[in-house]
Amino acid sequence: MFINWKLREINLKIVYYGPALSGKTTNLQYIHAKSNPKIRGDLVSLKTRGDRTLYFDFLQLELGQIAGLKPRFNLYTVPGQAYYISSRKLVLQGADGVVFVADSQTERLEANVEAARDMAENLHILGFDPQTMPLVLQCNKRDLPGVAPVSLIKRQFGFTGAPCLESVATQGNGVFDTLKTIINLVVAQAQQQL
Amino acid sequence: MSLSLPEELAEQIEHILAELYYETEAECILLADISGQLISTQGQMTGIDPVLIAALAAGNVAAMSELTRQIGEESHLGSFLHEGDNKGIYLFNIGGSFVLIVIFQINTLLGLVRLLGGRAAGQLHALSAQFEEHMNQPHSIPNADFGAALADELDQAFGELF
Repeated sequence: MFINWKLREINLKIVYYGPALSGKTTNLQYIHAKSNPKIRGDLVSLKTRGDRTLYFDFLQLELGQIAGLKPRFNLYTVPGQAYYISSRKLVLQGADGVVFVADSQTERLEANVEAARDMAENLHILGFDPQTMPLVLQCNKRDLPGVAPVSLIKRQFGFTGAPCLESVATQGNGVFDTLKTIINLVVAQAQQQL
Repeated sequence: MSLSLPEELAEQIEHILAELYYETEAECILLADISGQLISTQGQMTGIDPVLIAALAAGNVAAMSELTRQIGEESHLGSFLHEGDNKGIYLFNIGGSFVLIVIFQINTLLGLVRLLGGRAAGQLHALSAQFEEHMNQPHSIPNADFGAALADELDQAFGELF
């Protein structure tokens, strides 16, 4: 969180984390597509030729004055592929909240577990406590056949205090609910610090 | 990391950036923290998105710092240059915590940007100790109902999409 009292801005950073191809970029693409252009910036994606996230995606949302402050939310994704661990750690720096986008397909459960472990390690390295950090679990791809029960994904995720939402990011289902949930958590946490 | 920038510190930063802006005749100057948050700007922002520039520059410097660390370099005071056809960007890593971004026309004296940018980075590095004092300290916010007001604003902004 960064508050500039001269400009009366409050800046918050939210990072979408999760295994490869779980739908992190799709979340941001939907938010970008459906948000009023007056309150959002461009969606910038640093990606490979194959449209896979190489470093991060970035989207800024800026709301009007609230209680004399202008809140600005900077949304990032991390690259999900395992070998981009250094990039994930760099993007996670200074995060105020994390959305973990889990892939609900049964064959991707192990990848979710691995990514959650990787997230917890990176948070620890950066001095965050994953148990107290604003964290939301989004179980994505609920429209696909043979998905795992949400209860199983949640149990395997391990951070029991994190709210859990179901989504179909390609259709937008659950995308804004997730965003609103993490923003509320981040702001509540910020207010505790304020 | 949470950072609150009081007005007097913001003014000191603005002064350093303004001096660099006028002396180098750069197009614009930005200061960001390493997590990509925009802290301060000077100059012409027409046609650019300063928040986006801050996020990308911080990512670039963070990646370059990690890259140099991989080859045994531990310094957090490096600088990185891009020279394009019409414009250039000079990035100065300030102690691994902040990034000074100088955007200039290609006919600007590059040596001047390097010299004065390095000087400004040093001045900002000296100030960063004061930044550290404001990190993770309790801040005050004028209205305790900020969270509720924000929830209302979110409902207005995205209401039909929830």
